[in-house]
Amino acid sequence: MSAHDHSHGDHGELQMGHHHISSSAMFLNVLLTLLVLTGVTVGASRIDFGAANMLIAMAIASVKASLVIAFFMHVKWDTAINKIVFLSSFLFLSLLFLFTLADHATRRMDGEINVTRTPVQFQWTQPAPQPHGN
Amino acid sequence: MSHDGHHSVVIPAPGPEFVPHTVAHHFDTPVQEFQSAKLGFWLFLATEILLFGGLFAAYFYYHEMYPETFRLGGQQLDWKLGAINTTVLLLSSWTMAMGVRSAQTSQKQKTMVFCGLTVLGAIGFMVIKFFEYKAKNEHGLVVFSELFGQYDTATGSLPWFKDYVGVMAGVPHGHLFFAIYLTMTAIHGLHVVIGAGLILWIMKGTAKGRFHSGYFLPVDLVGLYWHLVDLIWIFLFPLLYLVP
Amino acid sequence: MTTNVPVIDTHSQAPAAGRANFMNCTSGFWSWAATLDHKRIGLMYLVGVGIAFLAGGLFALLVRLHLWEPTGTLFENAQYNQIFTLHGAFMVFLFVIPAIPGSLGNIILPLMLGAKDVALPRLNLLSFYLWLTGAVLATLAIVLGGFDTGWTFYTPYSLYTQQAVVTIGLAIFVLGFSSIFTGLNFIVTVHKLRAPGMTWFRMPLFVWALYATSLLQVLATPVLGITVLLVAFERLYHVGIFDPRLGGDPVLFEHFFWFYSHPAVYIMVLPAFGIISECVSVHSRKPLFGYKLIAFSSLAIAIISFLVWGHHMFTSGQSTYAMFAFSFLTFFVAIPTAIKEFSWVATIWKGSIALNAPMLYTLAFLIIFAIGGLTGVILGALNVDIHLHDTYFVVAHFHYVMMGSIALAFFAGLHHWWPKIFGVMYDEFLAKIACIVIFVGFNTTFLPQFVMGSRGMPRRYATYVPEYADFHRASTIGVIIMTSGIALMVYYLVASLFRGKQAMQNQWGGVTLDWLSPTPPPLENFDTPPKVVHEVYDYSTLDYQSMRTPVR
Repeated sequence: MSAHDHSHGDHGELQMGHHHISSSAMFLNVLLTLLVLTGVTVGASRIDFGAANMLIAMAIASVKASLVIAFFMHVKWDTAINKIVFLSSFLFLSLLFLFTLADHATRRMDGEINVTRTPVQFQWTQPAPQPHGN
Repeated sequence: MSHDGHHSVVIPAPGPEFVPHTVAHHFDTPVQEFQSAKLGFWLFLATEILLFGGLFAAYFYYHEMYPETFRLGGQQLDWKLGAINTTVLLLSSWTMAMGVRSAQTSQKQKTMVFCGLTVLGAIGFMVIKFFEYKAKNEHGLVVFSELFGQYDTATGSLPWFKDYVGVMAGVPHGHLFFAIYLTMTAIHGLHVVIGAGLILWIMKGTAKGRFHSGYFLPVDLVGLYWHLVDLIWIFLFPLLYLVP
Repeated sequence: MTTNVPVIDTHSQAPAAGRANFMNCTSGFWSWAATLDHKRIGLMYLVGVGIAFLAGGLFALLVRLHLWEPTGTLFENAQYNQIFTLHGAFMVFLFVIPAIPGSLGNIILPLMLGAKDVALPRLNLLSFYLWLTGAVLATLAIVLGGFDTGWTFYTPYSLYTQQAVVTIGLAIFVLGFSSIFTGLNFIVTVHKLRAPGMTWFRMPLFVWALYATSLLQVLATPVLGITVLLVAFERLYHVGIFDPRLGGDPVLFEHFFWFYSHPAVYIMVLPAFGIISECVSVHSRKPLFGYKLIAFSSLAIAIISFLVWGHHMFTSGQSTYAMFAFSFLTFFVAIPTAIKEFSWVATIWKGSIALNAPMLYTLAFLIIFAIGGLTGVILGALNVDIHLHDTYFVVAHFHYVMMGSIALAFFAGLHHWWPKIFGVMYDEFLAKIACIVIFVGFNTTFLPQFVMGSRGMPRRYATYVPEYADFHRASTIGVIIMTSGIALMVYYLVASLFRGKQAMQNQWGGVTLDWLSPTPPPLENFDTPPKVVHEVYDYSTLDYQSMRTPVR
């Protein structure tokens, strides 16, 4: 490759490729939406929805997170592979959540299958103690 | 001619206050360098998500096991301070995004200003965090001076969980909520400090004119890191402060 | 056969006299310590993991010598616990996980892709130094008193034991990031640095294997990181998260631990599969049977491996329904694995088989892995595992896959690429002897363990009832045989560096890009950047001249 002289209009190759540059207005809109949603979160927490409390809080947080990811972190205009990468991390994380919580939630549900049984009486003669034993 | 026998690709500076960027020699084009670094950084962010995710998994698990402890524990946290911190971080995310945009459009002064504001946001967050921890200390819910003390197996009492007022009496394992709260917020706080340090490093580079429309990669990547810090707090805030 | 038509756009470069290669192009300590060249980093890894292997092997030898007598011969019970823990921890974290990606992967992957280096060379160097730091910390943990929890660090014992658990936890945390960064680097390299014309389905299968491994490294290892961190926090300030006295659940530790450690065993074995794929093809001079099947099966194994971790916890007190689910899912991982095994055998069938050292190790792998894999399926059956859990049956199973399969594949890869990397050949006769001795020694060591495990001999016991004595002694004799084989191997490999014959430009007649670069490779891997115009494993493109041209 010869040394690149930038006098001719080769800028597409020399620059980073076509870059989407977000507008300031867009960023401001996203910020305001996020602040509003924060207010909603706080407001919603004042009302007791019972078991759905956690779910509602996480749902609103997920919406906020999606805004940050898509717009502030630019993922909306990013390559497919970067999108796949971050989505996979949430996917595999949810596997961890799912199985551990499912285990815990179903632990007492199996009746007599998986309970402690009375230990069987069992004789084992201890070998004569050697000088270098325990 | 460089020692390896071929020329490196150089991205020119768009103006006299900037410096050109030499693409690393094992890459053929600037696009390749940019996309490689970005993909690599997203992979790193994925690992951070999984690392923190483990902590969230522990939170959910024990929330299910001891709902009363978590309800009562959460009520001891000041949700107003938490909300202020959330607002501070969201604002700092905005300033960071604006800072990256300024670097992309070769606006050196604006980049410095927005990055500086972001660092201020980080400092503000940590100051509020300090006051929160101080309050916990005063109530005996986390006595920092005794944090690494000996656990007395005979009485079953933890040296750092003294609960002077007795707010957590009557729920099982009251310390568990505060231990998880401390661990999650402290590790998050560590990332805030690291993020602030990285932004200061970006400001140094910006002052030297290293970042411009032709090469803004480090600013972009540090911005991604900062947004991740914000993301984690977006989930932490409702879980710790609001759900109870 | 004398067809000599070079049909790939890159020719095997015949060397000028005294040609510069990556080893001699610059000299001095710092040119190696601060190198950004993936091949030098790979060599440093090779030395490091080699030493770790010998250290782990030493602990293994001590374990087996101790178990010669039913009452134990060498150690107090508490000390014995430390010795087998060290064997496991050193082998798993310092050898089996990092070895193939760090050494052979680093050196060969960019060559196979036609790239000049990995995508992020400075990160690569950092990965190596993180490995080194982890190794130093692990050694420090021994000095500070060792640890006796078993390599699995189960709570609550790991919270109470007065040992260097935090130190080794820190070592594992650091080693985890070494692994993550290597995986990250390989993923970016495969996505972004392939040579022109190299589509995904023209990549050699070693690359596919390393890619699948890297996915696991990036997605699973962070959970190990947070797990050891939490254990350290528990010990330091009593979080209560795993400690039942403080309201914690030790089974949660096991969930976190095995969420990583099951995919970890595939991090260990997938690169080995990749090496075997290369070796069966080159040494039968036949394209891989079922190339796409093998490629996809690596990804399938990677994904399924995230769904089965509970099969390590069948006797720990999980919910029965969770256990049903994990057992059921465990059987599925056998399917892609079997696809590979059959495809390899089908590749060799009617090929032009060369029974050289790499091929002997490969054949040994195929036999041993069949046993190792099948016994894994046996253990995956919930009702059977209730009886076999924590017995020597499990120990035999995982040594068949880890030592008999992964280590043998590693040896196969070493012998296969040795002439490429160093430009010298080792003594073929001694190599074949060593392989046979290792094979005999290995089976003598571990076959009896299946039997005594199924008859009830528990694992990690310092003493045992006399009825198992014959099995233990056979096993110990096997280890001594195996150690001799390995010692012989180390001897002739090291000797070849000083007194070895010249290798040929293309020693075995491979047609992937790694064999078409100059031997040994220069710093930038290729004199002219290659373009790929043919399918991978197309032996009609083989340049026989390069097989007869010596290196110097």
